[in-house]
Amino acid sequence: MINLAARDILHGWGKFVFTGVGLGLLIGVTLSMAGIYRGLVDDGKALLAIGGADLWVVQRDTLGPYAEPSSVRDDAYRSLLGIPGVAAAGNVTYLTMQIEHARGEVRVMLVGFQPGHPGEPGYLVAGRPITRSHYEAIADMRSGLSLNERIRIRRHEYIVVGLTRRMVSSGGDPMLFVPLKDAQEVQFLKDNDALVNERARSAANPAFNRPGVPGLLEAVQASQTNSHQVNVVLLRLAPDADETRVAEQIRRWKHLEAYTRADMDEILVAKLIATSARQIFMFLVILSVVSATIVAFIIYTMTLNKVREIAVLKLIGARNRTIALMILQQALGLGVIGFIVGRTAAALWAPIFPKYVLLLPGDAVRGALLVLLICALASVVAIRAALRVDPAAAIGG
Amino acid sequence: MAQPAIEINGLAKRYGEGDAAVDALKGVDMMIQPGEVVGLIGPSGSGKSTLLKCLGAVIEPTSGRMALAGKAIYDNGWKVTDLRALRRDRIGFVFQAPYLIPFLNVTDNVALLPMLAGLPNSQAREQARQMLAALDVGHRTQAQVRQLSGGEQQRVSIARALVNEPPIVLADEPTAPLDSERALTVIRILNQMAQRFQTAIIVVTHDEKIIPTFKRLYHIRDGRTFEAAGEGRAA
Repeated sequence: MINLAARDILHGWGKFVFTGVGLGLLIGVTLSMAGIYRGLVDDGKALLAIGGADLWVVQRDTLGPYAEPSSVRDDAYRSLLGIPGVAAAGNVTYLTMQIEHARGEVRVMLVGFQPGHPGEPGYLVAGRPITRSHYEAIADMRSGLSLNERIRIRRHEYIVVGLTRRMVSSGGDPMLFVPLKDAQEVQFLKDNDALVNERARSAANPAFNRPGVPGLLEAVQASQTNSHQVNVVLLRLAPDADETRVAEQIRRWKHLEAYTRADMDEILVAKLIATSARQIFMFLVILSVVSATIVAFIIYTMTLNKVREIAVLKLIGARNRTIALMILQQALGLGVIGFIVGRTAAALWAPIFPKYVLLLPGDAVRGALLVLLICALASVVAIRAALRVDPAAAIGG
Repeated sequence: MAQPAIEINGLAKRYGEGDAAVDALKGVDMMIQPGEVVGLIGPSGSGKSTLLKCLGAVIEPTSGRMALAGKAIYDNGWKVTDLRALRRDRIGFVFQAPYLIPFLNVTDNVALLPMLAGLPNSQAREQARQMLAALDVGHRTQAQVRQLSGGEQQRVSIARALVNEPPIVLADEPTAPLDSERALTVIRILNQMAQRFQTAIIVVTHDEKIIPTFKRLYHIRDGRTFEAAGEGRAA
């Protein structure tokens, strides 16, 4: 038996292909939305992988340092190192900020870390690690910064000595690693005017400036200008250590919150990006419905354009099955073209997106199956219309 | 004497019910022998198309009897269960316009019927090519429908109607869009094919040019048929 669907497609292939391309672009947008969601999750996981940590120690009763602000004294790591099972500890600060460079501005997550401790970038793709105590930086390539480029952060100028890749915040902002002391100053130290103002206020306060207590005012003023806070202490555990038990000890004895990797996964995926994920999911649903409606409309229109041929086919004895199969095959053909175009388009435009778009093969397979299912369902309306065509319509009168 | 190709007795068709009922056919009687080409003429609304649709097993008559090659297909109810198979295997159709399938080439337009009947593609195409050759369009087998002239398209549609060698062919105004010369050519072809395949052909027509070519004519008026001898002029 002749494949009527294939013959019809070949007969009007230009129209069919253009329709498929149009549908494909819509499918491409849908696949990109799925890719953006995957990118969000992957960014979150990449963030956790950066420090090489097993436990995140943060301020008590917070979901810090990524989902909520957290502040921990930077000497806490010493006592944490004394807990059995803890192999290494590193203070880390995070601050999302806008920085200027030669070609414009870029939003980055400024990471303060201690070289040689948990929290440092895992690898470099160019340049060298930070070797000086101040004013050197390692930038993620997505920031657009290049080696030896000089950038200004607050009061000081930094030089980019190394480049890394796929080190971004959960929001997709590229990371800029600087020495911990510099980062603490950027995050916690006030500007000179604010300091002068604060000192004057303290001096004017009789509680801090008592005539009979020499040195009190100086001590108060010194405490106001300290920057000995960090956002998180990252812990690397010994190979045989039980992370749950170590975390429990930290909660009990150190009055801090400790999260395992599984806890952080949960916080990032289920809490931090949950709203974005739901938003994207809604887009996905809407785009799928729009795609299905468009496929249904296209197939229905294509079928209505063939009413006379369908009437003749029925009159000369073609079975309903033959006609339904023709329409179904055309719908699936449209879906196949649409999917190929959509997948190609999504792959082509993914690098242009400002945020990471991760197109997983598994998602592509699921997308293909969904597209074929949608096309099959969309063809039902057209098949019903075709089966209602009266063969008598081919005969005059 | 051979069995009549078509025998119709007291065929009636009523549309609607009660006060809105319309009797389109009120007891039609016809008998056509194999190889015969008869004309069916009548004014608009006389019941020509209804008769054609009943004969083509497209609509169900209300009462009466129809037999093809001596076998009843309708006797106050259908006597066959698969009307599609009946249309495919035992009735050929030629329409006012050729109504060829535009996305199939000439051979496949004709071969489609034997293929639908279950014949392998190669055999069906061979059968189609032979029929096309018999209708003098054997040189256009690979052509697309849009590449054919009006006359060629009508020949291909006749080939499609005859390819399964049905006992009857129903032709609905087959010459309407053609000029005199081509119209007469179509009638000549129908006569030749009817003789060659011993097929009975009913030609519904308004066409004054071709009416004198029929040896026998059925007039239909107010749902009833009246037989008349035709002139039988050579087409």
